[in-house]
Amino acid sequence: MNTDLRTDPLATRHARRPTSTKPAILDEIHRAITEGGCTLTEIAWEQQRLHEARRWSVVELISNIDLERLSEGDRVRIWNAGRAELTTKPGADRVARLADAECRRWQGEDDVVAAIMQACGTWSRYWNEEEAHHEVVFNQLSSFLGLPAIPDVEFIEYRKVFPDDEMLRTLTLLVISEIVAAVNYGQCAMLAEDPGLRALFKQVAADEIQHMGYFIAFAKGLVDSGAYQAKEAFAVAHFFIREGGDLYGVKRDRIEERDTHVNWWDHLEHGDVSTPDAIERKQTLIFSALKRITGISVSSVEEVEDTWMDLVGC
Amino acid sequence: MPNHAELSAFICDTFSRHVEIEPEVLYGEDLSLAAIIKTSPKMTNSVDLMEAFARTANALRKTWGIRVRLPTLPLDTPVSRVLDIFLAEAAVAA
Repeated sequence: MNTDLRTDPLATRHARRPTSTKPAILDEIHRAITEGGCTLTEIAWEQQRLHEARRWSVVELISNIDLERLSEGDRVRIWNAGRAELTTKPGADRVARLADAECRRWQGEDDVVAAIMQACGTWSRYWNEEEAHHEVVFNQLSSFLGLPAIPDVEFIEYRKVFPDDEMLRTLTLLVISEIVAAVNYGQCAMLAEDPGLRALFKQVAADEIQHMGYFIAFAKGLVDSGAYQAKEAFAVAHFFIREGGDLYGVKRDRIEERDTHVNWWDHLEHGDVSTPDAIERKQTLIFSALKRITGISVSSVEEVEDTWMDLVGC
Repeated sequence: MPNHAELSAFICDTFSRHVEIEPEVLYGEDLSLAAIIKTSPKMTNSVDLMEAFARTANALRKTWGIRVRLPTLPLDTPVSRVLDIFLAEAAVAA
């Protein structure tokens, strides 16, 4: 038997039990790599464990819903959710491509950043799969309820891939998108009277919070590396929460016409059905995310703008 | 405090420098915000444009002690309108 470690890589292996700790998001990814010596294989294992621990069945959750009990408001919210979720696949496809490109750009220059990018791109496969549940469950529910079908041309329009941007900005935008979605689904759950529908909305909201946690972790890793500047996270946050910003969605006085991609929050159609925006809750979660990503505390829209302008400089 | 003409020249020069578009093109053709993003060699999207506004506002504060808040404007807004808003804000702040 060859026991030379240089020529027989198998000789370095030894039996090990599967990880026994509860699966969780690797919050300190930069430190885990630089100080803990964490490899991409180990990171992928943690991602897989958490993904498996959080899996649920679309078929099962739909079967728990009493379709006859749903209100007009429930029906409108389900239909909007299904259409909005169509945009997540191009989002995940974009992250996978952008993260891999960034990984290769950083290789050799900063291998830790390259590894964080690759970890992000690797996780995007779980994100894509989990979001597929959301899209399909709501669109299938819409179909069972006899709600207007989404024409193929509109389906394809909603699949347009977003234009590329700087990676920290991209991750921060995704953090905020997940926050808005999670809070909205929380509102939907609160308004639903059917226990099955309430459970579904709560499950999806919990998924979105978990996705937010991942995006925060990758964004924090980039800031911790020193290769990405906190100002980019604040720029995107300011873009959303400023007066007339994207956080206000369809309630803004004016929404930009785009032919490049669809921002789901610009296309919700609630008609006479009222769903609380919970803007303050969203703002609070955004402030918290900024703190986790950059270490900088803010507690108001004005403070976000002031901090961002200070970081930008002249 | 600077007069209207001095402020206007300062804002125009600063913004032109940050978007890297010659003043003759930027103001001569009264470019829209969408056209500025497209024409500028350093811009990808609206966030870059906001940063150029922020840098201009910071320069105003540093040089003249005037604090202006950033406007939220549609992308078809011409740059002359942006300049008017900056000047109006600066006049109030001064």
